[in-house]
Amino acid sequence: MTRWSRLGSWLRTILQRSRMENEMDAELRFHVEARADDLVRSGVTRQDALRRARLEFGGIERAKEECRDARGTSFIETLLQDIRFASRILRKSPGFTAVAVLTLAVGIGASAAVFSLVNAILLRPLPYPDSGRIVLPELISPPGVNLGSEYIPWGQLQFRMLTRDAHPFQTVSAFQNDSFNLTGAGEPTFLDGFRASQEFFSSLGVSPALGRAFTAEEDQPGHEYEVIISDRLWRERFGADRNILGRAVELNGYAYSVVGVMPAGFAFPRAEEMPSSFNFPEEPQLWVPLAIAAEPKPGPSELALIGRLTPGVTIQQAQAAMDLITKHAEEQDHRWTGWFNTRVVPLQRQVVGDTRRPLQLMLGAVCIVLLIACSNVANLLLTRALARRREFTLRAALGAGRARLIRQLLTESLLIAVGAGAVGILIAHAGIYFVKTLGPSNIPRLREVTLDLPVLAFALGVSLATGMLFGLAPAIGAARENLVDSLKEGSQKSGGSRISPRLRNALLVSQVALALVLVVSAGLLTRTLFQLLGADGGFNAERVLTFQLPLPALKYADQDHIVTLFQNVLERLRAMPGVQSAGIGETVPLGGEGESTVIRTPDHPAASQKEMPFANFTIISPGYFSAIGTPLLRGRDFQETDTKDSMPVAIVNVAMERKFWAREGALGKQVGPGSTRYPLLTIVGVVPDVKHASLREETAPEMYVLYNQKPWPSMLNMRVALRTKAAPAGVTESVREAVHAIDPDLPLAKVATLATLVDDSMSQPRFSVLLLGSFGVLALLLAAIGMYGVISYSVLQHTQEIGIRMALGAQRRKVFRMVLGQGARLAAMGIAIGLVAALGVTRLMARFLFGVRPTDPLTFAGVSLLLLGIALLACYLPARRAMRVDPMVALKYE
Amino acid sequence: MAKPIDLLQGTLDMLILKAVSLGPLHGYGVLLRIQQISRDRLEIQQGSLYPALYRLEHQGWIASEWGESENKRKAKYYRLTAAGKRRFQTETDKWNRMADVIAGILSTTPEEV
Repeated sequence: MTRWSRLGSWLRTILQRSRMENEMDAELRFHVEARADDLVRSGVTRQDALRRARLEFGGIERAKEECRDARGTSFIETLLQDIRFASRILRKSPGFTAVAVLTLAVGIGASAAVFSLVNAILLRPLPYPDSGRIVLPELISPPGVNLGSEYIPWGQLQFRMLTRDAHPFQTVSAFQNDSFNLTGAGEPTFLDGFRASQEFFSSLGVSPALGRAFTAEEDQPGHEYEVIISDRLWRERFGADRNILGRAVELNGYAYSVVGVMPAGFAFPRAEEMPSSFNFPEEPQLWVPLAIAAEPKPGPSELALIGRLTPGVTIQQAQAAMDLITKHAEEQDHRWTGWFNTRVVPLQRQVVGDTRRPLQLMLGAVCIVLLIACSNVANLLLTRALARRREFTLRAALGAGRARLIRQLLTESLLIAVGAGAVGILIAHAGIYFVKTLGPSNIPRLREVTLDLPVLAFALGVSLATGMLFGLAPAIGAARENLVDSLKEGSQKSGGSRISPRLRNALLVSQVALALVLVVSAGLLTRTLFQLLGADGGFNAERVLTFQLPLPALKYADQDHIVTLFQNVLERLRAMPGVQSAGIGETVPLGGEGESTVIRTPDHPAASQKEMPFANFTIISPGYFSAIGTPLLRGRDFQETDTKDSMPVAIVNVAMERKFWAREGALGKQVGPGSTRYPLLTIVGVVPDVKHASLREETAPEMYVLYNQKPWPSMLNMRVALRTKAAPAGVTESVREAVHAIDPDLPLAKVATLATLVDDSMSQPRFSVLLLGSFGVLALLLAAIGMYGVISYSVLQHTQEIGIRMALGAQRRKVFRMVLGQGARLAAMGIAIGLVAALGVTRLMARFLFGVRPTDPLTFAGVSLLLLGIALLACYLPARRAMRVDPMVALKYE
Repeated sequence: MAKPIDLLQGTLDMLILKAVSLGPLHGYGVLLRIQQISRDRLEIQQGSLYPALYRLEHQGWIASEWGESENKRKAKYYRLTAAGKRRFQTETDKWNRMADVIAGILSTTPEEV
């Protein structure tokens, strides 16, 4: 028979099963009735005839069974039979079944939940059409120049040079973030948005749900007063008005007309999807044309690019084309040399970004939990197989082949696995909800995580694979039993086969080792979290309120106007009874990266353009440092006596002093922005390094300049920091009133306490600790259950031996210690193996750690002791049971 | 009437093939036909008849179809297939050779050894 016809025969057998049964019934009934007819004809009464016909025929059911056999049984029929039998067996011992199913369900559920993250974040394509072609052409900093970030923004001129050259993109667009103050309709609202050139939406392949994208004419200076709004803004602010197109709204004082509404869920680019150095807003609400001039004037570089590759162009080809553009630029003007290096990054890879490694960590951790769960269930099955030896022996004696026995046992395992898979899916569902609710907001695509088909398929696959994994060893072990030996031994108590204890011990040792690896990893992460909590960020977060004060550009066009506003604001805030000190600064600690710029230091002249030093350049007001709680290490703070007419001054951080004036100290030295149009500043003070994005960051050199000494960049987006006397939340409303008393059109944005910012910056490590910690606890629990199971079974098995020992005078305490010793030996072996494995594994975790080495002896020793303690605890109950064995009962037990 | 003898192991298949080679029969008909040809000298377990029929059908030597019995009831009729005919021929030859050999052995007298 060919494979297909055999398959067809199976299918027929399955499908026609009931028909064949009916036919068989009819045929046999006909036989009996025909025989009865004949008997009636020979003079027997009808009733008697039927009875005699049946008697003559013999056992009808047996005949039917033989007929079924004769017809040939199919694989699937045997399988169904196996399943029926297996479920009967499992129902008979509900305790065992429940423990096995739950143990495995925890493993499967956890791994399915982690896989749903991996699937949504790493595997599933982005929600844009043909998203594989969307790339970010990034500008990278010249080799050897530390700008605090690998990526540097594009300039308008560079974007024009790119679009005029032979570029590899079907469409390419530049965009930059901006803040928009929406006024004229109710409370002034501060909105995050983007200025984007015309092909922005076509590069992503997304069109507005309502209205249209920008036209080429609208993307020209002077014509850019059109706005496309997000679905969320449309609903929240405009009540989902379908007649919104053409409506005029006021942004930063200019009249814009609404030309489009994006589909729900569209919010490109979100902060978490872009390099963190871009410092993009969390979720943009609107887009306006960028409107770059045909011949842009030199100006600050602030652009990011997005492109859609021409069909058929690979990333490598695109990179080659971009390299050619770089070459053309450098040939045109040597000043571009080193400053026009590009890297074409697929959007998918950028979006996944830094999440890949934590996810791999989670995946590794959850695999360990799954393995422990599997080996736990395998041990349960082994123990049970021992108890069922008589059954197997009997069945083997009755003619069941080894393959048949293995198959039956495997069916039982698979049945457990499938049941566990079903429960596991429920657990995964809960886990996904948990991650989505508690997970840090900076995980990209977290909102896309669902329990979808691939995840269900994964859970099913894992169930079946684990079923085979934990079912095979016990099944083979059981089938390998020597029939004759088993029969001779007669009893199930004495010994068991030699292979099983060794296998069970090996499984237990591996469980302990795996749990150790996982708990050590979780321990290191926990230590990292505590190190971060205790880390010195260069500020004091207690009772500090911060908010952003974005200024409408039209109203605050010149710097003197802005300075006066800030002076008024500070004066008013300082006069408030609840405020201890107040300051204004371009950034607040952990509020995001600041601006970085080329600087000049006359006593350290740069040898060439390439080696121009960089530093963060932060504009602040007097009182800023005392508001955020940064102490002056040397020199003095900025004072009210520093004005635009007095000597220009600067304060630098320790990293900057160490970099440029390590030996002589920074005080009194001169420093200034790269452009000679700005005067040199004299350094009057040194402060500790203040962290900007994360407490674990390597702080870059930073210089602080005064807001009223005509600093270089604009001050339209400053932050205010207030140190309050009582809880900062209490003053929020009066602060808002104070600001509105000066200018009612000023929105307060990003109002948050410094403590909240610190908290937010730690959401990712805290979440890692939470996840890995719960996996660690699970692993410990499973290992403890495994230990308990193995030791108590061993006690049960040796009841007789213990009884004899005690009858011969062994002390109870000695018996107790013997059992504990057995567990301790196994645990010690597992711990030793686990320590070696953990040394290898934790090295891979180095990037997740802060302030603690991957080989931290404290963690390693602590976790080893913890595991040993738990192992002894798990042995305690069985050991006590062993101690209480009554010699008489034990001996009679047989 | 002499007590009927039990069937030799493996001969029921051959008898069934012979019975249906004479014309299509239902299961009960096969039983009757064998008893009739053997003049009631063979004892056939009715319960073992059907498994044998199913086995032969599974092996493709006989085929079945539903028809109407002599007393207007639905019955399953078996007939010999071409493969069954060949099989029956070889089985018959084998049986005859075997019977000759066995008979020869059994009729051997001490003088002939």
